[in-house]
Amino acid sequence: MFTLYKKEIQYYLNNPIGYIILVLFGVFANFLFVKDIFIVGSASMRPFFGVLPWLLLVFIPALTMRMLSEEKRTNTVEVLLTLPVSETQIILAKVLALTTLIATGFLLTLSLPVSLAILTKLYFPEILAGYFGSLLLAVSFISIALFFSAQTKNQVVAFLFSVLALFVFLVLGTDFMAGIIPKDILDILIYFTPMYHLQNFIKGVIDIRSVFYFISLFGIFILLTIVQLEKRD
Amino acid sequence: MISVVNVTKKFKGVTAVKNLNFNAKEGEIIGFLGPNGAGKTTTMRLLLGYLTPTYGEILIDNLDPTEDRIKVLRKIGYLPENNPLYQDIKVQEYLKFISEVKNANNLQQVIQQVGLSEVVSSRIEELSRGFRQRVGLAAAYLSEPPMLVLDEPTSGLDPIEQDRIKELIIKTSKDKTVLFSTHILSEVEDVATRLIILNRGEIIYDGVKPKGKGAVEKLFKRLIKTNDNIVI
Repeated sequence: MFTLYKKEIQYYLNNPIGYIILVLFGVFANFLFVKDIFIVGSASMRPFFGVLPWLLLVFIPALTMRMLSEEKRTNTVEVLLTLPVSETQIILAKVLALTTLIATGFLLTLSLPVSLAILTKLYFPEILAGYFGSLLLAVSFISIALFFSAQTKNQVVAFLFSVLALFVFLVLGTDFMAGIIPKDILDILIYFTPMYHLQNFIKGVIDIRSVFYFISLFGIFILLTIVQLEKRD
Repeated sequence: MISVVNVTKKFKGVTAVKNLNFNAKEGEIIGFLGPNGAGKTTTMRLLLGYLTPTYGEILIDNLDPTEDRIKVLRKIGYLPENNPLYQDIKVQEYLKFISEVKNANNLQQVIQQVGLSEVVSSRIEELSRGFRQRVGLAAAYLSEPPMLVLDEPTSGLDPIEQDRIKELIIKTSKDKTVLFSTHILSEVEDVATRLIILNRGEIIYDGVKPKGKGAVEKLFKRLIKTNDNIVI
């Protein structure tokens, strides 16, 4: 599987698209936090972690859209599936490569806590929990975007459906839905939304139930993706 | 080595191959001949476990390609139809990737054998069609599999390059079981020891390659004409 992982990472090292997406992610992430820091007047990373999912909503589909759709379009998927490797290994190698890229993007945002730490005293366990929760969120987003990439040979279609799906997941957990969905239903739905579970991490709490939620979400979509890849008839 | 018994493959109601029955022994070079849409590629994909038979059974060295897909794939070197390749990496990087996945230790030997030494540092998208075909063949030869499945190995090549690829297949196929599909009659005449002709998903001939220049063409046309009841 490591060989498959290396091949995936190599694509992003050999092509400008990975660098462009990561740099843009870093720039936007830093800008969105820095622009309001003095207005908010609080040396906390919580606003950053609150806005991060909305950035990942666009950047993860952008990184993921070609992963399987391009393989299907060029039929290199037949090369992969006729090598002595399993569908699971192929998918997990792609997930690992994408996670490496997103983690690299997160590294580009480390300038924020470092800068804040120079200005004031920060509670680092809260920041670490925030990054950990965001990484879990990112990995579950990757699994959703990869699923949509497996459905089509068209990268743009994969991107659009991924963004739409992630948007629905995110918006369900916001106050905006309170005016649309009846309260009784919303009170149940909220437990299934990523934003609800991310809040614990943002506050510095690593809730095992929330870890389990993200792992489950990841597992469901990865399984669906593997089933899709196995379906060649 | 290969046993195909009553294999039928249907795609959404369309029958691609029907009641295929054939065996292949070690060391045979079998040419699959047939018009476009005859079921040659489907047959190859069934042998690799890439597709699952709707009915019937396939065994490769007593292994079912669907149940023991990875074990079967370790025994087969495959060149897919139209030779899909990753365009944006170098030849060396691509073949190194394939050799690592297959646990092969004959990478340098294969590169020399196939005649890729002068282009190993080139990106695959920069290569001519002939050299890309050699890359595909090299990938199939890595780890010295006992069986080769080559789907239209000379498709789209000019006559000189076709001859080169045919010579390469003959030279590198000693002690291997080779199945290759083609709709180029001269390829079967020059390379195969046995001939299987498919038409409309069924085998209409399975036997020794007829001897003599043009004999394969005569046989092919006669059988297809009889099978289709049309005039060629």
